[in-house]
Order: sequence, then structure tokens, then C-alpha cells
Amino acid sequence: MELLTFSLCLFGFNGFALAKFNHFKDVFKKRPTELQRKQLLIVAWISILLSLVIFVVTQGSYGALLFCGFMSVSVLIITTFYNLLTGYVKLFSVLNAALITVSGLFLALK
Amino acid sequence: MKDSFFRSMTWLHTWVGLLTCWIIYVIFFAGTISFFRDEINLWNQPAIHNVQAQTDRVAAQRMQIVKGFDYLSHHGAGSNSWRITLPEQRIPYLVYGYAEPKEPGQRRSKFINTQLNPNTMQELAPFVDTKGGSFFYRLHYQLYYLDAITGRWVVCFASFFMLLAIISGVVIHKRIFKDMFSFRRNKGVRSWLDAHNLSSVLALPFHLMITYTGIITLIFMLFPYPALTTYDNGMRGFFNDVSPSNNVTNKAQGSAAMLPINNILDQVYTKWPGADIRSVRVSEPNMAASTVTVLVDPGKELRDQTPRLLFSGATGELVDQSADELTKSKALYESLNSMHTGRFATPLLRWLYVLGGIAGCVMIATGCIMWAKRIRERSKGKASFGLQLVEGLNLATIMGLPLASCAFFIANRLLSPTLAERGDKEVTAFFLAWLVAGVIALIKRDKLQWRVMAAINALACLSVPVVNALTTNGNIVSYLIHKQWALFTFDALFLLFSIMFLVQTEKLRTAKNNVKADSLKPSTHQKGE
Repeated sequence: MELLTFSLCLFGFNGFALAKFNHFKDVFKKRPTELQRKQLLIVAWISILLSLVIFVVTQGSYGALLFCGFMSVSVLIITTFYNLLTGYVKLFSVLNAALITVSGLFLALK
Repeated sequence: MKDSFFRSMTWLHTWVGLLTCWIIYVIFFAGTISFFRDEINLWNQPAIHNVQAQTDRVAAQRMQIVKGFDYLSHHGAGSNSWRITLPEQRIPYLVYGYAEPKEPGQRRSKFINTQLNPNTMQELAPFVDTKGGSFFYRLHYQLYYLDAITGRWVVCFASFFMLLAIISGVVIHKRIFKDMFSFRRNKGVRSWLDAHNLSSVLALPFHLMITYTGIITLIFMLFPYPALTTYDNGMRGFFNDVSPSNNVTNKAQGSAAMLPINNILDQVYTKWPGADIRSVRVSEPNMAASTVTVLVDPGKELRDQTPRLLFSGATGELVDQSADELTKSKALYESLNSMHTGRFATPLLRWLYVLGGIAGCVMIATGCIMWAKRIRERSKGKASFGLQLVEGLNLATIMGLPLASCAFFIANRLLSPTLAERGDKEVTAFFLAWLVAGVIALIKRDKLQWRVMAAINALACLSVPVVNALTTNGNIVSYLIHKQWALFTFDALFLLFSIMFLVQTEKLRTAKNNVKADSLKPSTHQKGE
């Protein structure tokens, strides 16, 4: 459960970072269109809110605290990738999405 | 005060931050370490290093309590207080203790404790006198070498300043979300500002929560007036009212045999099936007025007061108990308090707390370094007394505290176990090492001194696991092999810090002497300072 919620949180902040012109340009070598930015922001908000909802529903107030901690870790990881490991951001994003799928499937099957 | 709200906020952020940053750094540093209070206690006591965690810990509790009552009936027959402290997930040993009669003028009774291995029920080797994690815990909220109440007032004021600095920092940092994931390296003061902003933003909920709840933990000292006006006997009356207390049997006279403890435990397990009992306290054993208090683990509940049941020791009657459902005000107070201490935290959340604490330390350190760098750039080589003072305090505090902490742990291993007041000597080692850093900072505060301090810290951090390996039966490799994770992580962290300080030494050696003065483009954050 923690893995799914953390990956969702990470995915959300990844979306927020990509929605910024400079970070998007660093990764894809071009500026994002306004539509792309909006889509990224919508996905980011859905992902991060879903993470919060799952935490609070499953673990109550304790989950809210965990969510705050995971937000910090997510921002730290995203900042590291976008400033020091820009070349790996695409791979990281794919792995992040795969992690959400695998942990979600694992929970659903369990 | 400046002529606009924004400039006023910038002024406020700079000065409330600068005036208290060093004391706040000490509070954050010690508080962050205190999240590992039990692990430090474990590392500081070699006698319990090889005690394995019980696999059937909760199931064995009844037997441990019953044996404890037998033990204390024999050894603490004349005592007015018994205490059985059961092993917990982070505390692997069992303690049976009884109070010695108080000496005239003594405020609290001294306990004679016997520590046992819960797996074998054999007595452990004598414990060494150590302050352990409690030193950092007390340093965090009441400082040291100060009267406890004075220390707490200082911490409270510093916390207020910190809260003001955080709020005003959010207000003045207009690009807080635009710059959220940005860190520009090798850009002089701009890099320091980015590091300051990043460490602030990435754990902003934590910074706000920990500072606000920190003030709440001392709220009854700061704001005692409602209790003072409501209760005839002031705060004592208030605390008695909110804690389960013995109002039933305390007037009973004469002696009375203790009821078998199994009778009381049956009632506990009926109310809380599968309860994880933390401790059992007996007051006035073998008297008609005796009480037995059973405290149980609250689990992940955000409450500060441990749930408890209070029984008459002579009749087994339930005398009082902690409330199952808290009133809204009490629930709010308890949840805020427990959020600050994080006692309920599982290892995952504990590490997240530590990450927040480290971010707080980085935020404070980068803030005070950045201020000094900016003023030095503007002063063009002529450093005022104020700037020299700030630079000196920066070096002494930021680099001195890690050195002092290493000295504390090395002293724990090198001091003779039979030395009188050994625990106090560990503390002396801590402050002496800090004094050395202060003296270095007093002489000069240039890049060279930072480099020297980084090199000393690298050596000191490396010395902790090395000295541990030379003075005890274990070392980082054996901890890994035997899956003693707390001890392994402790040593591994010091090795990691040692590497980080080595990297810092190297970076300081190769860094250019002069960063471009124009590296920091004018920003709104900068203008007011």
C-alpha cells in the first residue's frame, strides 16, 4: 500500500515538474504546449490527491503524516533528477508509472 | 520598519531568523537525533547489544509480569514503589525496579533496577552509567547548564521566532512554487539561496507542524492562566483532573496483602484483548492503599498519554482509567503533542521525521551562511564585528555540533565503566569538543577553517564505529551478519557522514576563492536584505 501511494505522490510531483517550461525543455528539448501543460497539471493533481485519499482512508491521521513525509521525499527525488540526472528523467518516469501499475495490480490481486 | 508589507516581511524574516538561527539549529539538530533516542540508548549500552528481539513479545508479557511481582516481593518488600518495564520493539530488555527510600531533601526516589534478557530471563551484565539519547532529548527542549524552566522559556521564544521566520519566509518567497524543483549549482550565493529555498519547501508541512506543535508541548508553561483561575491548587489540580488518579483507595489505612497479579491482568485482557503492555507500576505495595497501574501501547493512535488502567492492589477493583474517547480539546492537544514527539511512529515514518529534521537543519544552516556571504560580498573585504560574529557562530555551530556529538559517543566507549558520574563526563566531552570548534572559529573563520573543521569531523565520524569495534564485541560487519539493524545503521550512518565530510573537505579545497559577484541576479527576496 505504501509503495502505491508513494509512487502516486512521486508521479504527481513529476507531473508538476514537467509542467514547468524549463524542466520540460531540459527533458524533451522543446517547450510544452499550453495543452500539454494543462494535461500534465491535471494528471499531477489527480495523482497526488489520489495518494492523499488512499493514505487517509486506509490509515487515518497517521496516513496524513506519512503523506507529508512522502511529499518531502518525492520533492527531493524529483529535484535530484531534474537538476543532476536530467538525462534519466524519461527512464525514471517510465519506471515510476510501471511501479504504480505493478503495486496497484498486486494490491488488486491480493 | 520598511515602507511596504513585502519589505517589512523580508526585514522580519531576516532578523528573526538571524537572531535565533544558532539556537534553533541546536534545537533542530538535537530534536532530529532524539527521534533515535531508543537506538542511541541501545548503542550506548554494550550489555544489551546481543539481546535478541523476542519473537513472541506480547504473548510472553503475562509471564514476565508475574515473575516480576515474585521478584519484587522478595527484593523490594520494604519499598513504596515498584516498576516493571516490559520490552518494546525498540527496547529489547526487561526491567524490574523498586524505589529506595528518599533521602532528606531528595525530590524523587532512586530506583534500583535489574535488567533481564527476556528470552532467557537471566540478569544482564551491569549497565554503564550513560546519558544516552536522553541527553539529546533534554538538550532539544530545555538546553543544558541552564535551569530547566529557563531553558524551556529560551526554547519557546526561539520557537516563536522560528514560526515567524517560516511564515514570513513563505510570504516573501514569491516564486515558491515556480522555483520548487530548481537548484542551480556553482552559482555562489544563488546556490545557497536555492538550497535554502529547496530545504524549506520540500519539508514545509513538517517545518510548520514541528515548530507549531513544539510550542504546543510547552503551552501550559506559556499560558497557564485558564488552569490557574479554574483550579484551587493551580496546575497540579489541572493535571490531576486530566490524568487517571487514585481517588478511591488512597485513604485506606494499614497493610493488606497484594491480590495475585493474574487477577488484574485478566481484567486488562478482557478490556483490551491482545493488549501490548508497556509497563506495570505499583505504588504502596502490600498496603491497603496500594494501586497497580497498567499502561498499554496506544499503537498508531495520535495520543500522547499512554492508555492505562488503575486498580486497587489489595482488592483488584478498577479505580480509574484513561478515557477511551477523548474530549475534542483533549484530542486536539494530545494529537498535536504526539505529532511532535512521533512516539507512535513506525520505522518508516520515523525516518521521514528524520528527513524533515535534516531538511530543517539545512534550511537554518544555509540561511545563516547566505546572510554572511551576502554581507561579506557587499562589505568588499572589510568585515564588521557583527559579520565576524555571525561567521564565527556559523562555523562553531554548524561544524561544531557534529564534532561534539562524535565526542559524546567516543567518550561513551572510552570512559571507564566504573568512573563516578560517568554520564556527566560524556556530556562534558560533548561541550569540550564544541568549545574546541568555538576556539577555532574565534581564531579565524575563512575557508581554511571550514576545511579544517570538515576534515576533523570526517575523522571524528570515522572514529565512532572504529572505537566501537575496538572496545566492544561487535562491529559493523558482525551487526550486518547478525541482523542487528539498529546497531548496523548507527555505525553505517557515521561512516556515511564521514564520507560526506571528506567530500566537503575536497570541495572546499578545490572551490574557487571568489565566486562571481553578479552570480545572484536581483530578486525580490534579496532586495530587502
